[in-house]
Amino acid sequence: MHNDILERPMPTLPPTPAAPESGGLPAEPAPPGAALTALALGSAAMLAACGGGGGGAAPAPAAPAPPAVAAISPAEASRFLGQAGFGATDAQIARVQTLGYSGWLDEQFAAPRTQGHYDWMVASGYAVTTNISNFNGTDNTLWRKLISSPDVLRQRVTLALSEIFVVSMTGLPVNWRGFVAAAYMDVLETGAFGTYRALLGEVTLSPGMGSYLNMRGNLREDAATGRVPDENYAREVLQLFSLGLTELAADGTPKNGVATDTYSQDTISGLAKVFTGWNVNAAVNTDPGYAQRPMVLTAANHSPSVKQFLGVTVAAATPGATALQTALDTIAAHPNIGPFIGRQLIQRLVSSNPSPAFVARVSAVFANNGAGVRGDLRAVIKAVLLDDEARRAPAAGDTTRGKLREPLVRFIQWARTFNLGSPTGLWNIGNVSDPSTRLGQSPLRSGSVFNFFRPGYVPPNSALGTLNLSAPEFQITNESTVVGWANWAQTFVQSGVGETRPDYTAELAIATDAAALVKRVALLLTGDALSAATLATITTAVGSISATTDAGKLNRVYAAIHLVLCAPEYLVQV
Amino acid sequence: MHKPTTTSASRASRRAFLQRAGQLSLTGVAAPWALNLAAMAEASAQTASDYKALVCVFLYGANDYGNTLPPYDAASHASYLAIRGSLATARANLAATALTPSVALPGGRQMALAPELAPLKTLFDAGRMGVLLNVGTLIQPTTLAQYNAKNVPLPPKLFSHNDQQSVWQSSLPEGATSGWGGRLGDLFQSGNGKSTFTCVNVSGNAVFMSGRDAVQYQVSTAGSVALRGIQSPLYGSQACSDALRAITTAGRSHLMEAEHTRVMARAIDANTSLSAALATTPALTTAFDAANPLAAQLQMVARMIAARNALGAKRQVFFVSLGGFDLHDFLVTQHPGLLTNVGGAIKSFHDATVELGVANQVTTFTGSDFGRTLTSNGDGSDHGWGSHHFVVGGAVKGGRFHGQLPAMAVNGPDDVGQGRLLPTTSVDQLAATLATWMGVSNTNLPLVVPNIGNYSLRDLGLFGA
Repeated sequence: MHNDILERPMPTLPPTPAAPESGGLPAEPAPPGAALTALALGSAAMLAACGGGGGGAAPAPAAPAPPAVAAISPAEASRFLGQAGFGATDAQIARVQTLGYSGWLDEQFAAPRTQGHYDWMVASGYAVTTNISNFNGTDNTLWRKLISSPDVLRQRVTLALSEIFVVSMTGLPVNWRGFVAAAYMDVLETGAFGTYRALLGEVTLSPGMGSYLNMRGNLREDAATGRVPDENYAREVLQLFSLGLTELAADGTPKNGVATDTYSQDTISGLAKVFTGWNVNAAVNTDPGYAQRPMVLTAANHSPSVKQFLGVTVAAATPGATALQTALDTIAAHPNIGPFIGRQLIQRLVSSNPSPAFVARVSAVFANNGAGVRGDLRAVIKAVLLDDEARRAPAAGDTTRGKLREPLVRFIQWARTFNLGSPTGLWNIGNVSDPSTRLGQSPLRSGSVFNFFRPGYVPPNSALGTLNLSAPEFQITNESTVVGWANWAQTFVQSGVGETRPDYTAELAIATDAAALVKRVALLLTGDALSAATLATITTAVGSISATTDAGKLNRVYAAIHLVLCAPEYLVQV
Repeated sequence: MHKPTTTSASRASRRAFLQRAGQLSLTGVAAPWALNLAAMAEASAQTASDYKALVCVFLYGANDYGNTLPPYDAASHASYLAIRGSLATARANLAATALTPSVALPGGRQMALAPELAPLKTLFDAGRMGVLLNVGTLIQPTTLAQYNAKNVPLPPKLFSHNDQQSVWQSSLPEGATSGWGGRLGDLFQSGNGKSTFTCVNVSGNAVFMSGRDAVQYQVSTAGSVALRGIQSPLYGSQACSDALRAITTAGRSHLMEAEHTRVMARAIDANTSLSAALATTPALTTAFDAANPLAAQLQMVARMIAARNALGAKRQVFFVSLGGFDLHDFLVTQHPGLLTNVGGAIKSFHDATVELGVANQVTTFTGSDFGRTLTSNGDGSDHGWGSHHFVVGGAVKGGRFHGQLPAMAVNGPDDVGQGRLLPTTSVDQLAATLATWMGVSNTNLPLVVPNIGNYSLRDLGLFGA
């Protein structure tokens, strides 16, 4: 699995001393002879960066020397931060250069968490009965953490998980719905760096998922009335959160090259009985506490029947909690999970069309983190982000790599890059789902459990479609949304959203030098991915604005950021 | 969703194709990627001198047929009540919307519309709406015995939302790249003044509206969205406006970048034509409920139909949608509100076509992922298959039912379990009937509905006096 690193082009090292990559950034310290040392250590760095072995306990590749982290350029660091977080800042670029990719991930795994969503809503006074049937405060806290929480890797992965284990505010007609949604995001955030099995268990018994996919209050069959168990969670947990529809090989392609269904209607009917008898724990109208408590079993409401699914038989009259454990253990042990979930994590963070070999490497880490643990999400995240296919510099002729950045991630990236602040602490950004005037998506507001876009979406009438390539984010890309993005960016770049305001101090300081300004913005937002032609076009346009006044300097900053945010080389993260 | 492994031979042809595609994109041409298919559609292109439009109203999440069209005769309603229990609508509440068709249903049976669909009863009574019974996805006519024996091809991924939406719209599961609305567009777009406005989507992207060559055009409920940065000098600089237009529309070699700039270029171009056409078109007097999201979409469709002459349109396909129908829970509390929106929106839209004098030239029909179970899970119904749908317009043979009424029973002759209906009419047959009405020749029908050869009945008789 490490063979392909031999094909990786050697990094081009900067001359000594390194020239500043852009205005405002500290030049990389380069003592005499640094380039030579870095060269010598280059292959070790690549080994360390490949990361196929996964987590810290994994058997280390035979590395002859400590990782040569100094070899990471600002552009490479920025590109990495675009995948692992929500883009670059000066400080984060420096941190990646200091720690190396793997070290930066370790630091992020260990980063302290900031106040949870549910707790923040309570502390901010939203837990009053007038909010029992609305989402007041929920968008606020979601934006708060996505934009300002320092544990950026956890925030990025949590957002990705919220687009796989989907719960949406559009389908939560329950009491204290805003708290139920917030507590669900807390569940994902808590489980983001644990095991898949633990996350599946927490998701399954959460009031958020219970309400959204109807396991909450699901009752045993009743022959007298003809009532049968609700099948919704049984079906979607298999189709979307674990196995998918088709038996997969470890590399994500159909097993043995043929499409074999993973389950049938009988599987769903069997599993639906397992998910009976559970309901929320002590819900009251006076406070939202139940939103945080896992659902509990009422034995009398649980189906006493024999339950058969996925080759397992749960005997009649097995206690409900035992049946649930058997079901979730069975699901989590299925060989599809690694390629099915692993491929989607790659798609959320790195690339729409990972090679089968990339998927296979991630699947291997999912199966075993090196210490015998299956489904270790830390190890899986490392495997995704450190894989050679993720880290390798984009090749000039590769016209299909990477992914379209989803509008939500673009907005958060802009906000974090330019240190968006909320003077009130309330982050009044709101629901930005309108496709023609906002983002066409908003955190925890997918139109259905199938997310804003599907992993297998193929854009019709396109070269991508002809090649049968997936491009999920194009499912929400159309004439209205592309213009909507450019228009809203024009607004928020200048004015922020609600009471929030960006901080362009560093950009204003170099605004008289259009080339330096555009280069800095391009480094931070794209990892220096703009073509020379686009860079020249934007620089000329920005330079056309007089910088003799403060207003002129501001306009230069607005123009530089707005135009980069609309450039195709920014929109597509390679 | 998962791509088959690429062989080296196909990699070679992929490289060759990429070279061609690259050359095309460098010329800035809006490239017809599937050149041979485009040529085929061109050769089959049909012309029309009059105007006709087809409007698909898609109900995302799978509409519950049991409560949309409940039985009204005493015996059937008693069965319905016994099967559905607390989900059932009381017979007394159906008296006002019980339907009296021009051709009586067999066995003395009588059906009613959900009370919230009262506006559609007006259309039914006026002969402007027909009800198509038990229609769904099929590959070929299928009996219950064949289904149970699994000895005929069945639609892939039955009961899966995203896949059955795709099969309904395109005949293929998720990942399909053309649907029958778009394939209709393939045949007619060359006859339209501006081909961009052949397949118009006022909802989100849907495979239904993509042809092999025809591209779906998405428009918001407020019309096309203008790119603000090029309307006036951006940050006071015309150079910035020019740069914005240049970088967002230029041809690119990276295929995703190229696709994005292609969409933007089309958006800017279409906005110029559409905003001008809409500006010169008189406002509609027909009222649409602004709080009803489906009505807002259909109002935009009506506005575009009003502007058909300015746009040079002869044949158009429109797509609108409403979501939220996946009611495993809350069926009794949530479904009525959804149906209120469906009934109100379709009625307003039909009224608007009357106002515009095109009621006989516009046909509206409903579709959905699949039907649902008749049985109750206590608070809702689960995923099914066949369902009942509406076809509305002046050309429709209205005031009556089409297709076969299934038994009101669990484990009945059309039931694959829990009241999941085995369809007795195929979506392909519906598509062929609608395509024929639009003017597609019998020869060209397979271009729109590839599996139509599996059916001897290609015209369901939905149109005519």
